[in-house]
Amino acid sequence: MRTASTNSAWKSAVFSHEGILFLVLVAEWVFFYHFGTTVNRHDVVVGFGTIDRQFDILRHSCEIGLLALALTPIILTAGIDLSVGSLLGLCAILFGMLWHDAGLSIPVAAAGALVVGALGGGLNALLITWLRLPPLIVTLGTYSLFRGLAEAITRGAVTYTDFPASFLFLGQERWYGLPTQAWIFLAVAALVGLLVHRTTYGRSFRAIGFSPEGARYAGLPVGRRLALVYLIAGVVSALAALIYTSRLGQAKADAGTGYELFAITAVVLGGTSIFGGVGSVTGTLLGVAAIAVLKNGLACLPVVMRMNGAEELSGMLTGALLLLALTGSVLPKYLSNWRASHHSARPQTPT
Amino acid sequence: MKYLPFRLLLALSLAFAALAPAVHAADQKLVVAMLPKAKGNAYFISCKAGAEKAAKELGVTLLFDGPTDSNAAKQNEIIENWITLGVDVIVAACENKEGISTALRKAQKQGIKVVTYDADALPDSRTFFVNQATPEGIGYSLMDEAARLTNSEGEFAIITASLTASNQREWMKYIQARLTEKYPKMKLVLTRPCDDLKDKAQSEATAMMSANPNLKLIMAICSPGVPGAAEAVKQAGKTGKVKVIGLGLPNENKRYVHEGVTDSVILWNTMDLGYLSTYAGVAVAKNELKPGAKSFKAGTLGTFEIQGDNILLGKPFIFNQGNIDQFDF
Amino acid sequence: MNRYFRELSVAGALGLLLALLAVVAPAFYQPQPLLSLATREAPTLVVACGMALVIICRQIDISVGSQFSVCSVGAGLLAAHGWPAGLVLLASVSIGALLGAFNGVLIAGLRLPSIVVTLATLVSLRQGLNLVRQGEFVNLPDGLQWFGLSQTDGQWTLVAFALGLLLVFAVALRYLSAGRFVYAVGTDTEAARLAGINPQRVTFAVFVLMGALTGLAAMMNIIQSPQVQPLSGNGLELKVIAAVVVGGVAISGGRGSVWGMFAGLLLLACVSPTLTHLHIEAYWEKAIQGAIILLAVVADGLRSRKENR
Repeated sequence: MRTASTNSAWKSAVFSHEGILFLVLVAEWVFFYHFGTTVNRHDVVVGFGTIDRQFDILRHSCEIGLLALALTPIILTAGIDLSVGSLLGLCAILFGMLWHDAGLSIPVAAAGALVVGALGGGLNALLITWLRLPPLIVTLGTYSLFRGLAEAITRGAVTYTDFPASFLFLGQERWYGLPTQAWIFLAVAALVGLLVHRTTYGRSFRAIGFSPEGARYAGLPVGRRLALVYLIAGVVSALAALIYTSRLGQAKADAGTGYELFAITAVVLGGTSIFGGVGSVTGTLLGVAAIAVLKNGLACLPVVMRMNGAEELSGMLTGALLLLALTGSVLPKYLSNWRASHHSARPQTPT
Repeated sequence: MKYLPFRLLLALSLAFAALAPAVHAADQKLVVAMLPKAKGNAYFISCKAGAEKAAKELGVTLLFDGPTDSNAAKQNEIIENWITLGVDVIVAACENKEGISTALRKAQKQGIKVVTYDADALPDSRTFFVNQATPEGIGYSLMDEAARLTNSEGEFAIITASLTASNQREWMKYIQARLTEKYPKMKLVLTRPCDDLKDKAQSEATAMMSANPNLKLIMAICSPGVPGAAEAVKQAGKTGKVKVIGLGLPNENKRYVHEGVTDSVILWNTMDLGYLSTYAGVAVAKNELKPGAKSFKAGTLGTFEIQGDNILLGKPFIFNQGNIDQFDF
Repeated sequence: MNRYFRELSVAGALGLLLALLAVVAPAFYQPQPLLSLATREAPTLVVACGMALVIICRQIDISVGSQFSVCSVGAGLLAAHGWPAGLVLLASVSIGALLGAFNGVLIAGLRLPSIVVTLATLVSLRQGLNLVRQGEFVNLPDGLQWFGLSQTDGQWTLVAFALGLLLVFAVALRYLSAGRFVYAVGTDTEAARLAGINPQRVTFAVFVLMGALTGLAAMMNIIQSPQVQPLSGNGLELKVIAAVVVGGVAISGGRGSVWGMFAGLLLLACVSPTLTHLHIEAYWEKAIQGAIILLAVVADGLRSRKENR
């Protein structure tokens, strides 16, 4: 039973994970729609059920969503990037600097920020592929380095503001019905989706995630493929930095602090295995949505409102949700293993 | 087996869908949402106590939420939550002037009234600013007190919350102005941020003292900074040799003031600040207080002067060994 | 010689830094500020001992910062309630051990990846604490500071205790079978199993120990001041992981020593005071720490490349 189910079982497992996650998302949404919509003193409908709130959810999930998209191929290769949030901060302030201090136009400054993102991602890529260092520790170092540079450059003090309305349009207005940045998010999602699921690159990411040595023997350019995913992550972080700056109308060195945690949570919640090899972009998108709906929905519940801690509660529940999803993903395997051999219960290590 | 959770969830969601959009009527009280810079900070906790007292007297619902670490982005998200919830008035202490004003303007567009306190936003994004003391008053008081304690000569250092906070920058400006104007023999050798953390203030102060052996005084201009600096001076055994003054709450500093580590703490009455801000917010929401007013009466505290669009709380107060026990906040 | 090359090179870097300070900023070497610095780093050293063990066991625990905060606030509340210091200490260690056991069950029992499990507990514990306490400080009763000792005695006690613990760990890892088990599991789980070690049990024990040490460290931290700050553990995980990695403990498990970690910790701890003494802006601190971590791993990478040739 175990041997026959290698390929199709993985497939169905992924399928059911996404399926369940989708239903959780729907249930979440309906729950908040029902309990989070109220009428205020002036008989105006407020809360979760308003169209504005739905757009807010989309707006708030764009930056973390972009980082999660960038992390999906990385985690597929069994890697990790802890530096994306810090790189977001560094790109944000360098963008502000290029525009405000160097007097460049917005598009040129934005291009500059993207270049910085590519350089940052490139540094990770270089260390991880050239010296074959563990991504966890390399990106832990760059996590400190990028944030530290951002703080050092601005001396922790400078905040860039007063961006022109044409730039704020990106983060605060709507374009063809949706928040402007949502279009960028969707475009990046489509691109990453194509890359991961419709090209040979995606297959090589999975192969590397299952076994980098095996992939190398199979003739895959492992180094170049790995470099690519970290480079993409750098550029996407820079893109997220532009959106962040535009949404808040300010660029400061603390931009994006802690975002890496939520992005990784979204990816893993979406069913991508932290051991690599398994996962999908759809799952990541569902994971991002599940977290965003939870966060914004909780803020609309009158009970939570009186607790004065919607942010904290949603963070706590997100962590719990992540643990549940992980446990749920291994339990069936344990049960079947246990059933297969009662006495010498020795489950397979999920590697 | 595998489909069971599917069906359950489906049934559950259908049940909810059938009920939705059953809309609950929220309570009919006016809702005041108060935003601190950091909600765990003792300064804002005592503001909250005053606000709660006012909310009770006025019969309104008070929400009090903010970041746990002074974070401008989180402030914006909390305001956006309040906009969707349709609160009546937002009373905000702003971490970053420009950053928060976008969100506040959006609130105004939705018919929510905005009043700021403690640290102001851009003038067009709020109706009134409850000004605890003019930056000039604070800066001059601190600098004069520092000069008095050091006989107007020697090196001193400053601990700030963060260099981004706009009110701290304002105060620094006036401290600097007073220094160059009146006390040429004093020298500001160092300014360090402590991120509104007491532990960080303590390690910064320790490092300051060992790097500058001639340091005569440390001035902390954020409330966690004063006890932090005092603890550092005490542990270094430099009580009396390095004076500590700053902006802080009486309760946090009583211990050090009595031990003689901290010489004086300057502050306005923060409970009154919360109380007055809540009263002002409610009055603006009820259209009882309009731009152009010259004075404002806030419950049991009496009447306050309004200068332009600033409601003035009054003069800063100097707490020292002689009077600090009379205050409990 | 070659065996301790890594440890010695970190110690060498530390020596260089200290020599540099002796020349350009002799004011650094004053007994009182140095003792204060050592006292503040003592709890970090205790946590780093646990982290060294966890990483040698080829796991990671990024939830220690949140555990630290929870233990601090928990212990602070009990102390404020009038519990005697000894019981508070016991409670703090127990809370830590319980939190560690929770991680341990998920990681050793269900074999979930430690990075994700502890990421989840990091977020949940931190936010849970913020929700319950709203970030409020806890005021401690008067007798608790320095356990009622004089300040200097208290500081020496803490430093001596932390160093003693370091020594115990160094000896235990080297000479006790339990210590060898940790290396064995970190080097090759399967081989360890074949050698008759139960890897799951070792992993679980390591996480419980990590939690207990964090609880201990939290206690060592709160007795240093009259108030407990709920955010005090934020970022602690990075500080200790950095110390362990800079000290030459391999993130891939099975290699490294607590002495290397100790040198790494001292090196990183000296960065901030050095900046102040050299009158460099404090804002460079984080960037420099990041650069030190990267330098350390790059050195490792270059060395293993050379060896593989």
